[in-house]
Amino acid sequence: MIAEKLYDLWANRNPLWEKRYEDSIIKNFCDYGRGATSLREDRGKVFGGGYEIFIVAFFMGLYFNQKRPLTGDTQKRKTFGQPIQYWGNLDSVKGRKAYPKLREYIFTALVARTDIDFIALEKGEMTSRKAVDMLMQTMEEYANWGFHFMEDKLTDSPNYFFRETAFLEVFLAFNASIAKSIDEEEPESLD
Amino acid sequence: MIIKDIRINNFRSYYGNNKLSLSKGLTLIIGDNGDGKTTLFEALEWLFDTTGENRKDSHISEKRKSELEIGESDEVSVNITFEHDGEKEIEKCFTFERISEDNIRTKDYKFVGYFIDGTERHSCAGDRLLNTCFEPVIRKYCLFKGENELNVFDNDTALKTLVDTFSGIKEFDKLVELTSNFEQKSANAANRELQNDKKVSKQAKELNTQLNDVTNDIQSIKTELRQKELSINEFSSKLELLEKNQETSERYQAIKERIKGLKDKRAKLVAYSSCEYSTNLLDEYWILRSFPAIIKEFSAKVSALSKEKRILDKQETERRAKEAGVREAISKIQKLANDAVPLPWNLPDEATMKEMIDDEICKVCGRSAPKGSDAYEFMCHKLNEYLDHIASEVNKNSDTKENVEKPLFPNSFINELHSRQIKLSGDTEQEISNIAITISDRLEFVTKRKAELAEVDKQLQEMETEQNDLLMQSGLSSELLDKSISDLRGFFDAKSRAESRFSELETTLKNKESARAEIQEKLSQLEPTSSMTQVYQRVHTAFEKITKAFANAKEQNVNNFLQMLETESNKYLQTLNKNDFYGIIRIRKTINNSARIELYSDNGTRIENPNGALKTTMYMSVLFAISQITTLKREQDYPLIFDAPTSSFGGFKEDTFYNVIDTIDKQCVIVTKDLLNIDKTTGRKSLDFDTINKLSCSVYQIEKVEPFNDKDLSTIQTVVKQVR
Repeated sequence: MIAEKLYDLWANRNPLWEKRYEDSIIKNFCDYGRGATSLREDRGKVFGGGYEIFIVAFFMGLYFNQKRPLTGDTQKRKTFGQPIQYWGNLDSVKGRKAYPKLREYIFTALVARTDIDFIALEKGEMTSRKAVDMLMQTMEEYANWGFHFMEDKLTDSPNYFFRETAFLEVFLAFNASIAKSIDEEEPESLD
Repeated sequence: MIIKDIRINNFRSYYGNNKLSLSKGLTLIIGDNGDGKTTLFEALEWLFDTTGENRKDSHISEKRKSELEIGESDEVSVNITFEHDGEKEIEKCFTFERISEDNIRTKDYKFVGYFIDGTERHSCAGDRLLNTCFEPVIRKYCLFKGENELNVFDNDTALKTLVDTFSGIKEFDKLVELTSNFEQKSANAANRELQNDKKVSKQAKELNTQLNDVTNDIQSIKTELRQKELSINEFSSKLELLEKNQETSERYQAIKERIKGLKDKRAKLVAYSSCEYSTNLLDEYWILRSFPAIIKEFSAKVSALSKEKRILDKQETERRAKEAGVREAISKIQKLANDAVPLPWNLPDEATMKEMIDDEICKVCGRSAPKGSDAYEFMCHKLNEYLDHIASEVNKNSDTKENVEKPLFPNSFINELHSRQIKLSGDTEQEISNIAITISDRLEFVTKRKAELAEVDKQLQEMETEQNDLLMQSGLSSELLDKSISDLRGFFDAKSRAESRFSELETTLKNKESARAEIQEKLSQLEPTSSMTQVYQRVHTAFEKITKAFANAKEQNVNNFLQMLETESNKYLQTLNKNDFYGIIRIRKTINNSARIELYSDNGTRIENPNGALKTTMYMSVLFAISQITTLKREQDYPLIFDAPTSSFGGFKEDTFYNVIDTIDKQCVIVTKDLLNIDKTTGRKSLDFDTINKLSCSVYQIEKVEPFNDKDLSTIQTVVKQVR
C-alpha cells in the first residue's frame, strides 16, 4: 500500500467560505457561478473562477497574519465546486497562465501556520483526517479575514478594487521579507 | 482699347481721389502685401463687370466712411479714359450717405460712358460702350490674378470662343450644316432611285446594306475613339496634377510614413505598458512576493519536527537494544564446570531425556543414575532447560512479532514534509525571492513605457496637425495624395493601355473609311437604266464633294488658327526667356474641342512639369499671342493686366522678365511686390532702383499711409506715388 500523503488529503478538500461574501465580493470580481471563464475580459471581471479571489483573500490573511473564524451556522457557509487540487490549472482560459504550483505554496504556508501535534500524528495518536481538518480551518479563517478586509475597503470606497493596481498594491504594502523573522536554526551536530 | 488713365475714388483703401496714368507699353505698380495691389486690380474688375448693378458696402473706403457725419454723403467711383477710335471714358460710381451712427445707405448707382463725336462730348450706357470697345470675349484675356489663372485653356469652351472670335469659322458652321443637309437628302433620293431601278436594284440594295454596316461600324469606332481619348486626357490630367503636386505629395507621404511609424510604435508601447496587475498575482506568482518568510517558518518547523522524531526514534532503539543485551547476558552465565562447551540445548531431545530419567540410567555414557544422584539431577535440569528454552523461544517469537506490528512512528508525514522542505530550498527559494525584483522591474518598465507613450501621443498629434495643415494649404484631398504614389503606376498603365487601343482604333477606322469610300464608289459607278436615276446620282456626288470641302475647310481653319497662335506664342516665349531654357509651345486640340498648352523640348520630348517661372512665361506668351492676333485680326488693342504673376520667379529671372516685357509693344500693367526691397531689421521698404532705372516704363508705388492702427480698417489708406 502506498503511504497516504497529507498534501493529497488536503488537496481533495473544498474550503468553506461565508455566503455573505458571494455577492459582495466573489461575484463582483470573479465569474463565479456563470459557467465558462474564458469570457472574463468580456464581462470585465478582474478574476476568473471564484477560487481565485479566495486565494487572494487567503494570502491577505496570511501576510497580515490575521484569522477570522467562520460563522458556526452551516446554512451560511458554502464551498466552491472545485477541490483544491484543480485550482490554477486554467487549461482553456484565454490570456491566462496556469499556476498549479501555487497550491503547494498554500499548503506549505498552512503547515507553517497551523498548530498540529505532528509527533502525535506520526505516532498514530492523531488521525490524518483531524490534521487536515486543522489545516483547512487555518485556510478558511485566513481567507475569511481577507474577505472581511476587502469588504471593509469596499464599504469605504465601492470602486476601490476596480483600480488597475488595487489588488497588487495590497500585496506591495507587505515587506518582501516580512513577518515573523525566524533565525536560522543552528546546524544539527552530525554525531 | 488702350487705357490712358485710371481714377479710383473712395474705393476701399483708395481714399479720396487717386489717379494712375498708364503708358502704352508696360506700367509697373509696385506695392507690398496689404498695400492695395489687389484692390487696384479688383477696382478694374468691378468697372469691367457688366453683369448688373453692383454696389457693395464693402467697396466703400472705411476711412472716408468713418469721417462722414450723419446726413453727409460722398461717392465711390472707378473711371478709365482710354483710346479707342478717339478718346473715350467709362465710369462706374455710387453715392453713400451716413443715415445714422451705424448705418450707411448707398444710392445713385451709375455706369456711364462718354465719347466725343466731332467736338461734342456725349454720354451713353457704360456697359454698352464697354462692350463695343472691349468685347466681353476679349475681356476674358485681359485680367489675371496670380499665376494660377494664366492658363486660358483651363476651361473647355475657351478654344471655341477664341476660334469663333478670331477666325471666320462661324460663317463656315452654317455652310457645313447646310451642305451636309443637302448631301444627306440627295443621298437618300439617289438611293431610293437606285433601289427601284430594274437593272441595278439588287446590287444597289446589297451595296447599301454594306454601306450601312460599315457606317455603323465607323460610328461605333468613333464613339470608342472618343471615349479612349477622353480617358487618355483624364489620365494625363491626373498624372499632371500628381506631378504638379509632387512636392506636396512627397511631404504628405513622408508625414504619412512618420504617422504610420508612430502608430506602430504606439501599438507596441500600448502592449508593453499594459500589465495584468491582478491576474499576475496568480499567473506569475506575484502573490508570493512576501512568501520567503513563510518558507523560513515552514523550514524551521519541519527541521524541528524532523529532529524531534529522530531523537525519539534513537531513544526507542536504545531501549530495545538494552532489553536484548540482558537476555544475552543471562545465557552467557550458564557454563559447564570444566569450562567445556555444553551440547546444544536440543541434544538429546525431549523423548530421549524422559526415557533416560525413567530408566535412571545415562544412555550416553551407559552409567546408572539413580534418583537423587547428581547425574539424575543433571538429567532433570537438562530436560527443564530444554522445556524452558522451547517456552522462551515461543515467548521470544511472540515478543518480536509484537514489536514489528507496533513501531514508534507508524506514519511518515514528517518525512513528506521534510522532502517538501528539501524541494523548497535552493533554486525554488531563490526564484521566490526574485519575485519582488521582477515586480519592481516590471512596474518600472511599465512606467517608462507609459512616459514614452505620452511622448509618442504628443508627436502623433503634432504630425496629424501638420498633415491637416498641408492638406489645407495645398487644397488637395487626402484621397488624391494617398493615390499619388500607389496609383501613379496604375495611371501610367491605364494611360498607355488607352493609348495603344486608341492607335488600334485609328487604324481600324482608316480601313473602314476606305471600305466605305470603295462602296460609295461602287454605288456611284452603278449604271442604272433610268437616266433620272443617273441625275440623282450625280447631284449627290456633287453635294458630297461640296460638304467635304466645307468640313475640311473648317478643320483647316481651326488648325491654321492654332498654328498661328503657336507660332506667335513661341516668339514671345523665346523673348520672355532670354538667356534661359524655354522649349517649344505646342497647342494641341483635344477631342472635346478644347485645347491644351504643352511644352516640348527640341527633341520632341514633352516637358511634363515645367518649373513655375517657365510655366508662367509659357502661359503669358500665349496671352500675348492672343492679344497680338486680336490686334492683327480686329485692328484693335487691349491691355493685359496681371496681379502678381511672378511669385514663382527668382530674383534674376524677375529682372530679365521686366526688361523683356518693357520692350514688348503691348499695353501691359503688372501689379507686383517685386522690385521692392524690405529691410529685414527695420521693416523699411525701398524700391530697387538698380533694376527700375534700367527700365523705360512708367513705375508707380502704392503704399499704406503711416501711421495706421493695425486693428482699425478705417485708418488704412493707400497712396499712389508716381516714381517715374
